[in-house]
Amino acid sequence: MSPLTLYQLVGLMLLCAGLFGIIRRRTLVGMLICVELMLNGAGLSIVAAGQLTEASAVLGQLATLFVMGLAAAEATLALAIIVVVFRRFGSVKTSDITTLKE
Amino acid sequence: MQTMAHVAFGVYAFIILAGAILAVASASLVRALVGLITTLLGVAGMYLLLASPFLAFMQLLIYVGAVSVMIFFAVMLTHAQTGGDESAPAPVRKFLLAAAGAAVPALVLGGLLYHRGVSGAAKPAVVGVEKLGTGLLGAYVLPFELISVILMVAMCAAVLLVWEKRGKRK
Repeated sequence: MSPLTLYQLVGLMLLCAGLFGIIRRRTLVGMLICVELMLNGAGLSIVAAGQLTEASAVLGQLATLFVMGLAAAEATLALAIIVVVFRRFGSVKTSDITTLKE
Repeated sequence: MQTMAHVAFGVYAFIILAGAILAVASASLVRALVGLITTLLGVAGMYLLLASPFLAFMQLLIYVGAVSVMIFFAVMLTHAQTGGDESAPAPVRKFLLAAAGAAVPALVLGGLLYHRGVSGAAKPAVVGVEKLGTGLLGAYVLPFELISVILMVAMCAAVLLVWEKRGKRK
């Protein structure tokens, strides 16, 4: 197997672990952790594709840097939303947050 | 050198796999977070193997330093129970659905990789940090500036969302 395939397999493994977790988890914080797993798999895959093929290596690394910046922004907003949901419902379990309007 | 690279790849892949399993399967959210941090460290090692040390440092700074601390704050602010929020036995149906949801992309993308995989170069391209800087301030200056706008908006939105007006506290 070529090195590129190995790196892509690791990225695919991270994607599948994140998908499995995001469906299985029952709290919003757990789902946030799984989203970070998936984003990391995507970043690893992009960098491997940039570094090991003819494609521009600079573009690959910069794309992953942008993914990291967006992940930081996303985590900030998700944390704020989780805190708001916790204040309103008193819980962050997905089974408790089922009403749109009281 | 080639064998050393293979050994290092195996070690990092094992670290990533163990961290991912811990992050997905553990009942306590704090342990899941430790698993996530382990995975992030393994991915940083993979970046080092791919001859992109700048990305490895950024991975450590942004993910291990900032994002995981933020998730720790989320765990703290939502009063996670000591016994673990996920300690109740999960319904089997949900477990099966999750397995199916993970298996479909694994089969599709894995099959694509197996049959149509691109055989890339054996050695990664080496790009200096100065090339990255030139790219950030040259061809990709607009996304670079937009990222700062997005971070600013995200910070303001987070502050506004969790703002508590004086006197309205319960």
